[in-house]
Amino acid sequence: MRYVGRKLIQLVIVLIAVTFTVSVALNAIPNAKERVIAARGMGATNEAEKQALLDSLHLNDSIPVQYMNFLKDFATGNWGVTLNGNEPISSAIWGGLQISLRLMIYAQFVALLLAIPTALLAAYRQGGAFDRFTTTTSFGFLATPNYILAPVFILLFSIRFRWFPTLSKNTGFFGDPVQHFKDYFLPTLCIALPLGATYLRLLRSDLIGTLQSDFITTARAKGMSTSRILFVHALRPSLFSLVTAAAVNVGALVGGSLVVETAFSLNGLGRKTVVGIFSAEFRLVQITVVVLASIYVIVNFLVDISYAWIDPRVRHARTLS
Amino acid sequence: MSVIHPTDDAVPSASDPNELPEEQPVAPAAAKVRMRKRGQITKWLAIIWLAALTFTAIGASWLPYVKHSCSQYANASECSTHVKSSPLTLEKPPVWATFSKSALPSFPGAKDRVGWFGTDSNGFDIFSRSMFGARNSLLIGSLSIVFGLLIGGLFGLLAGYKGGRTDSIIDTIMNVMLAFPALLLAIFIVGFFTNSSADAANSRPIWPVIFALVILSIPPLTRLVRANTMMYAQREFVTAARSLGAGGPRIVFREILPNVVPAMLTFALTGMAILIVAEGALAYLGLSVSAPTPTWGSMIFGGQKKLETAWWISMMPAITMFLTVLSINLLGDVLAERFRVREAIG
Repeated sequence: MRYVGRKLIQLVIVLIAVTFTVSVALNAIPNAKERVIAARGMGATNEAEKQALLDSLHLNDSIPVQYMNFLKDFATGNWGVTLNGNEPISSAIWGGLQISLRLMIYAQFVALLLAIPTALLAAYRQGGAFDRFTTTTSFGFLATPNYILAPVFILLFSIRFRWFPTLSKNTGFFGDPVQHFKDYFLPTLCIALPLGATYLRLLRSDLIGTLQSDFITTARAKGMSTSRILFVHALRPSLFSLVTAAAVNVGALVGGSLVVETAFSLNGLGRKTVVGIFSAEFRLVQITVVVLASIYVIVNFLVDISYAWIDPRVRHARTLS
Repeated sequence: MSVIHPTDDAVPSASDPNELPEEQPVAPAAAKVRMRKRGQITKWLAIIWLAALTFTAIGASWLPYVKHSCSQYANASECSTHVKSSPLTLEKPPVWATFSKSALPSFPGAKDRVGWFGTDSNGFDIFSRSMFGARNSLLIGSLSIVFGLLIGGLFGLLAGYKGGRTDSIIDTIMNVMLAFPALLLAIFIVGFFTNSSADAANSRPIWPVIFALVILSIPPLTRLVRANTMMYAQREFVTAARSLGAGGPRIVFREILPNVVPAMLTFALTGMAILIVAEGALAYLGLSVSAPTPTWGSMIFGGQKKLETAWWISMMPAITMFLTVLSINLLGDVLAERFRVREAIG
């Protein structure tokens, strides 16, 4: 319990620091006030409206007051509207979050689906042809950022073969499942392949370690079938670092898929943030960053907690130190 | 474990007798030699590629095979980032791409194929622009990793040596920095702390990009150095130095630091590759050094709209970047292998 408490305190400290940094960052931006007013365009013509706009962003207050006001607004859900278009920020963020979450879930699913069987086969015949082929391929994918994969896939699958659209249109799953699949296939692949490569390398080296332990030899001596040894006995104890990496990526991918979102013009959360920075939508950016950082920190907290739950050694080692 | 192969992981030897598939001995001596040879060849290919790229990037302004002309630009700084443009070279495929043709109507007297990498929609030579882009990427990548190592190294040494409260404060700072989604943090810094949208004529300088990447690289580097420092801080030679009356700074910089440097150097290459990829992402989103300076990311992004008719505009810088990142990763692996072997022996 002490371990959980310490992690919880850490979580709170990090969240306070994150919100403070984000709310105060506005003051460091050159010409923030002028840019906000310019972004509002025709909406803020007279002086009173301009001041009201700056007040709503707390730009006229001192830094501690700014922070407290930001926290209050964030907690009470008083997030305001976008400067350009008067859309409520909460609905803008929710719309983007849906797309980013979908991408993240699909990509994780595909990456794990590719990595786990491949790693099992590769580790089973370590140094064999399949192992060498997959290790080399995964090394290549690690060196391929997704903004390189995106044009390559578009060139191959959208232009050469015309299987998928060049730009995704975010069709809902229930509206038109086939179109939905087509829209999300290439963006998912662009995230999933490099991700799968990392997972493959992690799991493969863990599996090779496990396959050399005594209980595997025992299982083989008992005459157990190879597939049963691999899937039942070897896989489970080797999953630890893979599960950790996948969990950490849950938080990292929600905000981290912005390059792929831009490449396929999906209006996800990351892309909205980039557009927001260009168009001086500081409020939208502030709140998005706080939301994303909170997701990331909370997921990591849960991962840490689950370690302690899975493995008592963690709990004790860290409390003692 | 002397097999130096790019794809070789930190795993026990392949010829371990306890290995599962007993029917067929994997990696016999001949295969091992073959693998090592192949590793050597890829290693040398990587070195040659990086050397040629660095040489061309440094000498891009005066090397004869990098085309550029300054006539149409008002000042010299603009000139160095551009290359010859003319209506005769609009969107021409590379000379070797005999299967491709420009979709644009041909001017009288224009060639069908121009340059090693073709030309883009402005008529610029893509090879030359890629080399100016390499200058940008390599400069930003190496400067950021150097600063990252200096700052992260200092934090890591401090946290690892002092421990206790210092350690937990530094750890909390790093946790805060890690809480921001990596790329979003970089965008936050670059996008907010430059005056680009207020003053569009201003070209975004190199330093906000470097600053953002340094911030990204500090937490992992701090953790790496901290872990290594803690390992050495308990060793007998440190205790010996302390009992001889050596002060904290002397112990940290003269006793511990030299032992931590190999780990830092090994990670420096991999880290540089990661930072080059991150810079490319920023550039792809339009947030790296701004036009007219060519960057790989912005070239790939710009060419993506033209993929249907002129694939080479985004593919050639993409291939250049891929080979560069791959080579740096490869050398990073080779270096890691070297140091691990030495540690195992010594």
